[in-house]
Amino acid sequence: MRRAKSFLTALAGVLALVSSAHATLNVVATLPDFGALATEIGGDKVEVTVLAKATEDSHFVDARPSFIVKLRNADVLIEGGAELETGWLPPLLQNARNEKIATGAPGRVVAAQGLRLMNVPTDVTRAAGDVHALGNPHYMIDPIIAKTVAEHIAHAFAACDAANAATYEANYRTFAATVDARLQEWGKTLLPFKGANVVAYHDSWPYLAHRFGLTIDTFLEPKPGIPPSPSHLADVIDKMKAQHSKAIILEPFHNRKIAEKVAASTGAKIIDAAQYPGALPNTETYVGLIDALVARIAAALGGQ
Amino acid sequence: MNIRVFFLVIVCTGPMVGWPARAQQPSVALPQSGDVEALKHQMLEMQAGLKQIQIQHQREVSALRAEVESLRRVIDDLRKPVATGGEGSFPTTDESVAAPSGPHGAPSAAPAAAAPGFPTTDAAVAAAPGAATPAWLSGPITIAGGGKTFLNLSLDAQFAGAVSTERHLDRLEVGDHDPQQRGFNARNTELALDGAVDPYFEGFANIVFKLDNDNETSVEVEEAFMQTTTLPWSLQAKGGQFFAPFGRLNPQHPHVWDFVDTPLVSGRLLGPDGLRGVGTQWSWLTPLPWYSQIALAIQNGNGGTGFSFRNQGDGGVFYNRTTFDRGLGGVDDLVFIPRLESSFDLSSTHTLLVGASGAFGPNDTGKSARTEIYGADLFYKWKSAHAEGGWPFVKWQTEALGRHFEADRGVDDQFPVRETFDDWGVYSQVVWGFYKGWAAGLRGDVLHMEASDYTDDPERQSRWRIAPDVTWYPTEFSKFRLQYNHDFLEANHFMHSGNADSVFLQFEFSLGAHGAHKF
Repeated sequence: MRRAKSFLTALAGVLALVSSAHATLNVVATLPDFGALATEIGGDKVEVTVLAKATEDSHFVDARPSFIVKLRNADVLIEGGAELETGWLPPLLQNARNEKIATGAPGRVVAAQGLRLMNVPTDVTRAAGDVHALGNPHYMIDPIIAKTVAEHIAHAFAACDAANAATYEANYRTFAATVDARLQEWGKTLLPFKGANVVAYHDSWPYLAHRFGLTIDTFLEPKPGIPPSPSHLADVIDKMKAQHSKAIILEPFHNRKIAEKVAASTGAKIIDAAQYPGALPNTETYVGLIDALVARIAAALGGQ
Repeated sequence: MNIRVFFLVIVCTGPMVGWPARAQQPSVALPQSGDVEALKHQMLEMQAGLKQIQIQHQREVSALRAEVESLRRVIDDLRKPVATGGEGSFPTTDESVAAPSGPHGAPSAAPAAAAPGFPTTDAAVAAAPGAATPAWLSGPITIAGGGKTFLNLSLDAQFAGAVSTERHLDRLEVGDHDPQQRGFNARNTELALDGAVDPYFEGFANIVFKLDNDNETSVEVEEAFMQTTTLPWSLQAKGGQFFAPFGRLNPQHPHVWDFVDTPLVSGRLLGPDGLRGVGTQWSWLTPLPWYSQIALAIQNGNGGTGFSFRNQGDGGVFYNRTTFDRGLGGVDDLVFIPRLESSFDLSSTHTLLVGASGAFGPNDTGKSARTEIYGADLFYKWKSAHAEGGWPFVKWQTEALGRHFEADRGVDDQFPVRETFDDWGVYSQVVWGFYKGWAAGLRGDVLHMEASDYTDDPERQSRWRIAPDVTWYPTEFSKFRLQYNHDFLEANHFMHSGNADSVFLQFEFSLGAHGAHKF
């Protein structure tokens, strides 16, 4: 009898430990920018796992089987939507066996829901390259949109974990206030370059251009997903000279050699940029990423 | 009193009445005293009126002056930030985060009209977040955050031009979707459909159209099944017609293969169409921290798609035996396919997937003849952390299969002997994506069929093959592949040895929903 009692108390103790260990919300984010926001909003109440690497092209992430386990264990899934992860997320979700992140469940956060995306194509045809039928999905680079997505995430966390709803709300307000304050500084830094022409490898920067008054409408890719051809690059070089474009903005997975050739022909500078926290040094947070981007853009456009 | 008033009225109105009469008269009459009084009165009234108008006018003018002053002050205030270039003016202050605009590359007009006030002070980035979830069961259900659709539809068509030293290419190639004739082949035009059936199931179908060597079309329901999405305890079930989960290649559709044709061991042991049938499959994702799944499929196992099982063979003959039409006598007559697979992330860029499979069931060469197939598979992939569009990468895939086949004596014991065939084979392939859009591959195949002095089926010839290939993907939606096969067939009791060389040029396009592939 005594042994049974001590065994039961030990079991109860183990169960208590186990259940408290599961007190944190298991959050899976498809991309590192959502992961960064989830960490800001959730703090120590959440355990965040990010599927894609910060240096990876978000369209071409391998659907590794280990992601299936992470999705199975998730309480919340944050994805971009707008066809951003359409090349790799669906088969993972088909095997995830997790009703907490099923379509329409409170734990399923599709960040694009409720946003008005830029550049929605009127004609959806692949003759125009790999078009995004619902609009440009690289919206997170706009700090004001990031605030809205953060609010969306805070609501989802509160819905899944009502006990800590106040914490999530407070963390969101802190984040929003930080972004609002930094926006003033970012604006001041980039004000001298309003209207400046910047060339990009891929059309993933319209939201940044819109927010900070830059003009990013010339691309090294002739069409989305189509590799740069010599004739197109010659056109780009001519256009850059005519528009006095001083910089080419490049992401970590783009072909640097091609960009360097164009930069050499036009005297432009290459801006090593990224859309995801963690890809550039000292950019673990979202605000840190935008800080770094603004600084690099200003340096490239302002320097001689 | 009345008379005075009356008199006054007469005097006042008198001149008015008499005026026209007076006007007509050229002579000027002297004004009477009543007229003068009246005129005086009128003058006084007019003066009073004028004064009032003046006062009003002054009031209005001073009010206007005050307004102008205040407006001037406002303008000055507004002018100040523009002049100093401070925080009031940049960047965009549009109310909406973005407005849907025209075709790709044409930014919306709103940002161009930059109003003062920076940075953007738009209050409403968007409508209420989290909206747009369906409220009723039959509403359109978004799949994985994509566009609203009930059904994803895509068409993937593969073609191949083939030349070979072997005249009968259909004897050299072991798969039903492989090039089967010299010249042009169109043996895999695949229509793929999938979608969420309801909150509980997803549905999938693969309908394949083939043109045979006489350019006749045949249709195959390759797969058509429903699959659960939210069973508890990490279980998943599927039911319908589907590829058996044997090894790595068997469940894959030809358009994701890295080579033009089926490996020798798959085609000869699992069959030209792969091992597939109608049945059910249950799988369990274990609670282990790494990916580890146990699955069991139970299928009919009959026909050509149950090649080593309840397959009557061509013209009722299989491995020279006249086959029984067994039918389904009991549970023993079904095919059971268990599989265990695990995946390990060796690092953030290296992934390993290993698996073991089995297939157990009856075959039709005898009343109690059984077949057992065992398989082990390994898949390794490295992809650069800075991969552009998925490049560069290296993939290595190896599968080994062994089959124990009890070949009985057939109907009425027509065949002289009962044999057991222990056949085995291995293939291994490496693919190197060396530059964006290009991949080079090399595959080696070995097939060992147990020698027999009685069974002269040409498919029982041992052989090996080496096949290098190079693939070009202009985009993810089209590809061109050039492959060279060198086949060597071993001599046995009935067949001579032989060599054959073939070259294939495969081309493929895909239309429709962006197909996402399993790892």
